[in-house]
Amino acid sequence: MTPGEILAEAGRRLPGARCAAETGVAGAAGTAETVTMDVPRRDWLAALGFARDVAGCDFFDWLTAVDEQDEGFAIVVHLYSLGSGQHLLVRTLVPREDPALPSATGLFRGAGWAERETHEMFGVVFDGHPGLAPLLLPDGFEGHPLRKDFPLAARAAQEWPGAREPGEREAPERSRRRLVPPGVPEGWPPP
Amino acid sequence: MTEIGPGADSLPPRSRGVIGLLEENCTVCMLCARECPDWCIYIESHKQALPGPGGGRPRVRNVLDRFAIDFSLCMYCGICIEACPYDALFWSPEFGYPEADITGLTHERDRLREWMSTVPPPPGHDAGAPLPREAQAAGPGTGPAPEPG
Repeated sequence: MTPGEILAEAGRRLPGARCAAETGVAGAAGTAETVTMDVPRRDWLAALGFARDVAGCDFFDWLTAVDEQDEGFAIVVHLYSLGSGQHLLVRTLVPREDPALPSATGLFRGAGWAERETHEMFGVVFDGHPGLAPLLLPDGFEGHPLRKDFPLAARAAQEWPGAREPGEREAPERSRRRLVPPGVPEGWPPP
Repeated sequence: MTEIGPGADSLPPRSRGVIGLLEENCTVCMLCARECPDWCIYIESHKQALPGPGGGRPRVRNVLDRFAIDFSLCMYCGICIEACPYDALFWSPEFGYPEADITGLTHERDRLREWMSTVPPPPGHDAGAPLPREAQAAGPGTGPAPEPG
């Protein structure tokens, strides 16, 4: 299916989805257009089934999450058509208070490991997954390290080397202007 | 069959092997240490007052006491080299500096200085590349000649 055909068919079958065709998304080679589908949570499996059976994107590449903070977690799946070379991104948003989504393992068996990893890293629960055990983290690890509110131990244990002023031997106790490492939010890490 | 990989001299231009420090150019401005996303550049310095010219007000300058890069943390992003306004940091293609002890990967200023001898001259412009903005502003015929081929 061409991107245009996928968009037309998705508009007919998935009225809740917002679809677009963009170039240069997901590292797609050359100028191939990637189709993106943003669907509500209740349409998740329907959208993945549409992508596999109607759009022909039957190769499961990866699944992961993005911590969108107040908006919740975005779950992203990248699918690919081995036949036509079409790339497809399916995305949905789950709320922070209830980060649950039906498992895609019934449609793509290869989603099992990706969902286990997303579960341990972001705390997203995939209902119906056959064994949602941690995949990479050591036994007894607490917390979800890829959530943005997860304190980075290395940043708490080490003093920021940039806190010193030029020509000062020690980092100032109370600097005139407080320097904050770039990219580290105020009050980080949380106590 | 195991083969010995290429040496640093056969790598493509702009290969990132290790970072060299040209200490004379360093003004201890701390920009590299502050921009480093990995927090792996350690700089210590002190202020030194020099008598002003002709008995004028003394001039205070910063003297570098320690400059170290911890290559066990470095992710070779090159932001420090980009950030340095005084051209004190350079890429070298040398990559052969393994250590049995991880603390040995913290290269102090003398070791960073030694890498400077391995820094290649900057490569010429690619064929067909647009002229640098400065040369464009100066007009035709003033820019560097592109590399042949």
